[in-house]
Parts: sequence; structure tokens; C-alpha cells
Amino acid sequence: MFATLLSLFLRRLAVAVPTLFVVSALLFIVLRLLPVDPAAMSLPPNATNDELAAMRSTMGLDKSLVTQFLIWLGQILGGDFGNSIQYRLPVWQLIGDALPATIELALLSMVVATIVGLAGGLAAFYFRDGAGEAVLDLGSVVILSLPDFLWALLLMLVLGVWLNALPFMLRLDPGIERPVITGFLLIDTLLTGRLDAFASALKHMVLPVLALGISAAPSIMRVLRSSLLDVYQEDYIHQARLRGLSERQVLLRHGLKNAILPTLSLMGVQFGFLFGGTLLVEVIFSYPGMGNLMIDSIRNVDLPVIQIVGLTYCVMVLLISTVVDALHLVLNPKLRAR
Amino acid sequence: MAALPLWLRNTRSVIGLTILVLVCAAALLAPVIAPHDPNEQDLLNTLLPPVWADGGDPAFVFGTDSLGRDILSRLLHGARVAMTVAISASFGAMLLGGFLAHVAGYFGGWADWLIGRIIDVWLSFPPVVLSLILMVGLGSGLWNVILAIILVDWTRFCRVLRAEVLVVRRRDYVAAARLLGFSHLRTIVREILPATLPLLITLMALEMGIAVVVEAILSFAGMSVGNEVPAWGQMIADARQDIYTSPSTLILPAFAVFITVFGFNILGDGLRRSLDTRLTQTERA
Amino acid sequence: MTSDLSRRHLLQLMGLGTGAAALASVAPGLAWAQTKDTVTIAWPTDVPTWDPNQRTFPDGQALFKLIFEQPIMQDPKLNFVPGLFTEWTTSEDGLSLGFKLREGVKFHDGSPLTNRDIRFNWFDRVKESLSGGNKLDAANTWKNIQDIELDGDYAGTFRFGAPITTAVPWLAFMANYVVPEAYIKSVGIEQFRSKPIGTGPYKLAEYQVNSRMVFERNEDYWGEKPAIKTVVVNIIKDPSARAAAMQSGQADLTVNIPVRETERLGKVPGLVSELNPIQRVVLIQLRSDLATADQNLRLALHHAIDKQALSKAFYGGGAVPLSVPAPPGTAGDVPGFVFPYDPEKSKALLAASGYGPGKPATLKMAATNGHFPSDFDIARALVGMWKKVGIEVELETIEYAKYFELNRGGQLPELTLYSWENATGDPEIFTGYLLNPKMPFSPWRGEQPGDQIAKLFVETNTEKRLAGYRELNRFAVEMGATIPLLQSVQTLVRKDNLNYLKFGNGWVLAQTMTWG
Repeated sequence: MFATLLSLFLRRLAVAVPTLFVVSALLFIVLRLLPVDPAAMSLPPNATNDELAAMRSTMGLDKSLVTQFLIWLGQILGGDFGNSIQYRLPVWQLIGDALPATIELALLSMVVATIVGLAGGLAAFYFRDGAGEAVLDLGSVVILSLPDFLWALLLMLVLGVWLNALPFMLRLDPGIERPVITGFLLIDTLLTGRLDAFASALKHMVLPVLALGISAAPSIMRVLRSSLLDVYQEDYIHQARLRGLSERQVLLRHGLKNAILPTLSLMGVQFGFLFGGTLLVEVIFSYPGMGNLMIDSIRNVDLPVIQIVGLTYCVMVLLISTVVDALHLVLNPKLRAR
Repeated sequence: MAALPLWLRNTRSVIGLTILVLVCAAALLAPVIAPHDPNEQDLLNTLLPPVWADGGDPAFVFGTDSLGRDILSRLLHGARVAMTVAISASFGAMLLGGFLAHVAGYFGGWADWLIGRIIDVWLSFPPVVLSLILMVGLGSGLWNVILAIILVDWTRFCRVLRAEVLVVRRRDYVAAARLLGFSHLRTIVREILPATLPLLITLMALEMGIAVVVEAILSFAGMSVGNEVPAWGQMIADARQDIYTSPSTLILPAFAVFITVFGFNILGDGLRRSLDTRLTQTERA
Repeated sequence: MTSDLSRRHLLQLMGLGTGAAALASVAPGLAWAQTKDTVTIAWPTDVPTWDPNQRTFPDGQALFKLIFEQPIMQDPKLNFVPGLFTEWTTSEDGLSLGFKLREGVKFHDGSPLTNRDIRFNWFDRVKESLSGGNKLDAANTWKNIQDIELDGDYAGTFRFGAPITTAVPWLAFMANYVVPEAYIKSVGIEQFRSKPIGTGPYKLAEYQVNSRMVFERNEDYWGEKPAIKTVVVNIIKDPSARAAAMQSGQADLTVNIPVRETERLGKVPGLVSELNPIQRVVLIQLRSDLATADQNLRLALHHAIDKQALSKAFYGGGAVPLSVPAPPGTAGDVPGFVFPYDPEKSKALLAASGYGPGKPATLKMAATNGHFPSDFDIARALVGMWKKVGIEVELETIEYAKYFELNRGGQLPELTLYSWENATGDPEIFTGYLLNPKMPFSPWRGEQPGDQIAKLFVETNTEKRLAGYRELNRFAVEMGATIPLLQSVQTLVRKDNLNYLKFGNGWVLAQTMTWG
């Protein structure tokens, strides 16, 4: 078991390295299409043209695109992610602040999406061929048709603005000091025993998490239902019934167990999408994560930050798909035996 | 195509088509039926409520935005951008993705390997992030939005179709066609394409909905068509600052996005059922 | 000299200093109010860097002023008053400035402030910047510094190679703060930027880029200690999110939200809203080349603008339309001079340059979105007004901080909607900077009015200098080198029991705040 997992990770790594190489090359080229001069932008306004030329040569901008790319890649591999042009701070510091926030948001949203999606899928399966299914089915299309950022705005409008029931900005009530140990706010508040801060952080996450969770749930629901329908056409279900197992036992022991695998694959894909979806949802809720950092650096044409943020998103997606594959491996006896 | 009557026997497809015909009509007729120029400002009449609310003005049925522009006219003209992007981008993505899928699935070997690796690279980007970065590089404009969506979403077609081509290729009649001396091109066009077409059409319908959403996202982030072109996402972004005083300026364009995407989704759902393509093949965010 | 300066800069400002008066009249309040020692501010922008001298950045000043202090400060009426300098004198020829430094002032690390720190800031760092080292925006202003002679620990004299007529206003202006020499030299400038210390009434206790900063009261402060112990500043760039923060009680004070939102929030129980005219002008900066090289086109652009309508639609009529780039009541204002709104004249000017129906003039304009209230709406309204006379303007959004970079790279479009703050009110720091081809602020690189400005920069006679600027302002507008629009209005919403001291330039300083 351990060996299979290890070999999976090694195989994944072997794919991830060239993938990330190509991704970083693509990022680099696309962003070099921009008609901006990174040298001029990293100098204060009263710099002279000589200084500009000097800066261009220190930044390697007078060299060929390939050389520039290799220099940049070399720096990244050496752990030097460069400095933000607008904040004059190391990029890793900006990412270090933003990434844990986004991971927390994405994970919680995925939990919500999974619970709602699985429950909905089971319900739709249970009520199959009835009016209940038609309602759930139509409902899922309706929910799917509203993208996550519109969910965010509507939830903000109804629960935040009209009912004033939940906060919809930032991560903590003002006045609550933010403990920093791991960088993950929910964990840090618990580690320091600050239950008030923990509660406040959770409350601030409700709306963004709901927006992301709700819009990711219908796909999970639909795939679970259709996988269950597929599975129930298999002979072993029929045999299980003949052996006298109750419907519930059939569902749990045979139905779900087999239907969960395709659902899991889809959830991996969904999680990747959801991670991207955090971008606008963060902007809407002024949630200080990667999305806000991304939009902010795009507006300021802060190329070093855009590049690394883009790359970080890719690393996260690759990580997610590796974890999903590992889960697949653990859950699927056929794959494990191989 | 024999499947055509089936489309119309499915309630979902009919609902979807009806909605989309209406949206298309709005887009095509916008210059004729819009009561105002969508960019005409009336600084004396900003943020008027819809006509049914207190203080509404019959000249502005859905009210005005923060620059005194007529919301109804902007919604109608916004449909032009949405539908242009939906149709062109999904068609482009279908052509590119479908072409590569058939090449990969039919020929296999190194072509398949290479295309597979390219897809891997693409899939490691969340689509929203990739399209934003592309827009940064390309700059704003209608055709750049379309190009960005094509460049992001061709993989959706390619992945699903490639698997289907692989299956079809192994069928007897394809082997027979090759034995009869048909060229590769003719085999693909005459024998394989008809078999993958239902899946392709279903994917198209769903992709159009996605393209509408992506355009809304990009214009919400201020990175889509320019300011002078009315777009739904832009209207939503503008309305955020007046969310308290006039929520209708937010809700109306949001509803426009919703109903259009719903139209595409329900049509896709109907097609999926009548053309008997598997849900798991086409299910995405 | 001091009194002369304050007279020169005495500004007729509306609605000043009511906060303190209101505070005195409020009966000592409820128990909860007395224990409240925190204030939470929703602020629109982060600081670009914690080195306060690196960038001239108006929106960061209220934050810098919590930690850092200046040699000369300004009172709420914008008179120059002693800051870290207790006395100063300038020579008639403008070639020297003598000062006495306040004794007993300590930086936040406990080390004392001496005249070495003054020399470090206005000589060492300026020279370093001019010779290509760590760049400071203000270095250009002080480029003629020859030496700062030290006399004991607490006195000294600035020596200039050429007259610097605005030395005193500059010592109270942006990018002129005292930072500690010993600390910077021991920890390095990078470390200073991440853990800045100054002599100010607050210490920076917590900082998260783009999100949140917490200031704690400096219990060793030399002056009157602030009433509020902890100041939390949440950076919320989105104006609607700032409004929402006030609405839901998550913030105690915010600035620069749209006027409509301000008016709405003013009606919410427990909140008060204010529209304060400030020493900031909203104007259009033009390039002297590209399409705007044509004077007819420039004037046509100007005549097509209905400034009254802009003020009405976006500032509730509260922003004063301008005809010259100086707020009413300041020395650069030209009373009686009005540049008329006249679309017909615009069309005639355009026709004279060969434009007309079917052949519109096409230009680009850059504008910020969310930098000052309704900026993007104003930009779009302008585009609409120009369209009516036959000028097609394409709009692009930029971040305020990007303006300099784009300008230096020659990448600004023909027009930029810009807002310029000048707390001192001196016309040199309006027109003298905005249209000076030698300065980083101006995209206008023409010989005129650049030559005139160069002459006024070395004019040491105050009366002549100010008269020269009035003439220059009128001239610059008539030749279309600048298009002034409105005197800016600061919108502010606060809890009704939070009081603060109102400054004529819109500074909102936490050290002046009290809970009533």
C-alpha cells in the first residue's frame, strides 16, 4: 500500500516538474507581450535615463527572451522569487500571507460542496423516477447556471446587506488581534485558545464559503446520482438483493462504494475549479487571499507577483489532483491490487 | 440528422431553445428595440428606480445606472456581447479542441502523447486564472476575449472527444473503411465524426453557457471588452457601489447572465438525454 | 519669516475644526464609551512602502503621520507650526535655512533624536538618492543642498547651492519625514521598511500588506499623548465595501466613498457623514505631443466639459468648479477668470482643425477607479460629454501609483484624469509641479509654460512670485496645457460619538480622535 502510494507520488512528480517548467515558460512569454517596461516601473519617478539603462541591464532586460527566462527560472529554483514592484517586498512574503487564507477558503468550501453534493445526490437517487428527482434535477441546473461570483453578490445582498445577519468583508471583526503562528487563521486562533477570534473568523467565512460551496455542489450531486444509477444496473446489486441484504445495506456496501469513485474523480476536477473560483469571490468579499493579490497585481502590472501567483495556482492544482489520485488508490481495491 | 425530431420531443431542449431564441432576438434587435442609446448619459437622472417602484420614470423601464444610462437598453446591448462571445468562442474552442481530439484519438502514437501533455499543462491552471493572465497579455477587446476563451476551453472538448474517438476508432465499420482504401481524412470525416457528433453538440451547448460566464467574469474584473461596449459583467461591477441604494441595477444584469446560462444548460441537459451521451463525460463546473 | 509664511498660506476654508468644539460640548458619557480605547478605520489604500520619504503618496500621509513626524508641521488651518523643529529662519537670498531641533524626543526604540538625524535625512539620503542609490521622490527638490552644518546636538543650518524658495513648505510636505539614522544603519533599509520606527505618537504593532495595520500608542511620546490607545486600520480598496463596513458597524470611520453613499449613510442612526472641500484639485493632465499637440483640440476638450453638471451628479453640487489649477482662496486662484462651458465653441474649434461629422478626433484617457470619490464615473461622464461634440475618447483604468511610472516611460495617453493634493496651498506645488517638464508629475513637456515656471522657481520676492503664478495659471489654461475640473471633496463617514480634528487638507489623523 505504502509502496503503491510512493510510486504514485514519484510518477506525479515526474509529470509535475516538466509541466511546471512549461507553465512557467508560458507565463513568462504571455506576460512579456505586455507593452510595459519592468525596469522603468521598479525605479522611482525621478530616475534618469542612464539609471534606467543600468536597471535594464541589472534586470537582464537587454538580453534575449530565452536568457531572461533562464535567469528568472534560475532565481526561482534558487528560492529567490523576486520582489514586488509596487510593494518593494519579496514576493514570497506576499504569497506567504495570502496562500493560507485561500487554502482555508477553498478547503472549507469543498467540505460544504461535498456534504451538500453527496446528500443531494443520494436524495436524487432515493427519489428517482419521482417528482422529487425532477425538482432536485431542475434545481441543480438552476444552481449551476448561477456562477460563483454571482452567488457571492446575491448572498452578500440578501444575508449581508438586507438582513445584516453576517459580516461580508475581511476575515475578522475589527479590534480582534490576529495571532500568527502557522499563517492559517482558523488554526492559529485555536492554537492560541482565542475562541472569540475563531468564531469571528468562521463567521466571516460563511458567505464566501457558501457562495463557492453551493455553486460546486450540483455537479457532485449529479455525478453521484448518475453513477449510482449506473452501478445499480450491475449484476452484483441484484445478487446482493437476492442474498437478502436490505436496501440500505445494498446502498452502503455495494452502491455507494462503487459509485463514489467516479464522483471522487469529478470532485478532484471540481476542487481545481473551485480553487480558481476563489479569485473573484475573494475580491467581492475583500478577503485577503491569492485572488485579491492577483487582481491587485494585475491592476498594477506587478509582473513578478503575477508570475509567481500564477505558478502557485498551478502547483496547488497539481497537488490537489495528486491527493485525489492517492485517495482513489486507497479507495479502489482493484487499483491497489495492481 | 436523424436526431433532430428528438430534440423537439424533449421539454428541456424546447425550454432552452425558447430562452435562447429570445436572448438572440434581443441581441439582434437591440439597435431597433432599445429605447435609448446604451451609452447615452443623463447626469440629471442617475440611479432612477425601475418604473414599478416609487419615483420610476416610464422613459426608463428598468431605471438608470450611476451615469444615468438606461438599464434596459444596456441589457439588450449587453446580450450582443454575450451571444457573440458565446457563439464564436465555443465554435472556436470546438474547432480547435475537436480537431486535436480527432488527431490524437485517431492517429494515437506521438501525436496523442504530445496533445495529452499539452492538455496536462492546461489543466494545471484554474480556467479563471488562465483566462485572466491571457487577457493581461492580450489586452482588452471583444476578439481578445473570444481568443482567450478559445485558448482556455479547447481542452474541455479535446479531453472528452479524444476518449470517444478512441472508442469509435476500434469499431468494425471504421476498420472496414480503411480496408476499402479510404484516406485518413475521409475516414475521420465520414465514419468517425458522425459518431462523435452528438457528444460534440452537447458539449457546444454547455460551452456556450460557460463562455457567457467567463465573459461576465472578465468584464466584472474590468478586463473584457472596452468601457464603451455595454456588457453584463461590467454592469454588475458598476452596480456594486450602489448595492444599498439601488439593488435593481445589480439584480437585473445578474438575472440576464443567469437566464442565458440557464438556457444553455437546460438545452445541454435536454440534448444529453435525447442524444444519449453520458453525463459523466460532459459534467463540469 | 514664520508669520509671513502662515499669512501667505492662510486659506479660506469652509467648515473647519468643528470636531474639537463638538467634543468639548458632549457630556462625559456612558461607561462603555470611557472604556473604549480602540478605533477602527476603513482606509482606501495601503502605503506603497513604510519608508515615508520614498514616494510622494497623498493617501498614505495620514498613516505615515501616526508613526513619523516632520520638522515643520501644519495646524488644522494649515499654518506652519513647530514640529520637530522648534524654530527656523530662512535667509533673504533663499540660500540657507537655520533650525533648532526639539530636545528630549525619542524614536520608538528609545534612541534620542539629534541633528545627526536631520543631516542624515536631508543630506546623506538626498545625496545617496541623487548618486543612484536608494531613490527618494523628494531628492530632486533638495538637489541643490550643499551641506547641513551641525551646531551642538540640536541646532544646524541647511546650505543650498541655489535658492530653494519653498524649503519651508517642503519640510512640512510629503516625503519629508524624519527617520532614524542609527536604526537604519544598524538594521538596513529593508528591515526598516518592514519594521519602521519614528518619533510619532503611535508605534506600528502589526502589519499585513494590503489588509490590516495596528498601531499602539507611543507611551513615551514627547507631545500630548493621543486619547485612543489602539488604532486598527483595515485596508479596504473597494468603496462599496468601505460603505458596507460603516453600515454594519465593522468600522468606526471611513473616507472617500461615493457621495451618494455618504449621503445615505448619514441618515443611518449612529452615523454622521461629512463632505469636506479639501486642498486637492481634480484636473486633466495633457500630453504636449500626440493628438493633443493641437491647441484647438485641447481647448475644444475643455469647452465641452460641463463642470457644474459633474459636481451636481457626483458631488451633490458640493465640489467647486475650477477654471485654474488652484482651489478658490489660495494664492494661485485667479478671481473673475472663468473658462466657459460652450459645446458650440468646441465644435467650431474642432472644425477649424479639420475634424467634423464623420471625422471625429480620437484620443485616449487614463483614469483611476476608486482613488477619489466617483473618479471613474467622472471619467465616463467626460467621455460622454466629449462624444457629444465629436471627440471619441477611449478610456483605460490605471492605478494611481502607476501614474509616475507610465509618465516616465512616456506611456501615458494624451489625457489623464488626475487628482493633485497640495496641503500647503502654495501655487508652486500646484502648477509649478504639475506643468513643470523637469518634474516627474507632468506629461506636458512643452517649452511653454515650462520656461515661465523655471523663472518663478528662482523668484525670491514673494509678491512677484505669487503674481507670476496667477498669470501663469491663466496662461496655461488659455493655451490648453491643463484642464482643471473641480476642487475635490473628501467624503467622510464616522460614528456620531467619534470626534476628530478636521484639517483643511483632509488629513484624518487618529491622534486627534476621541470617543464622545
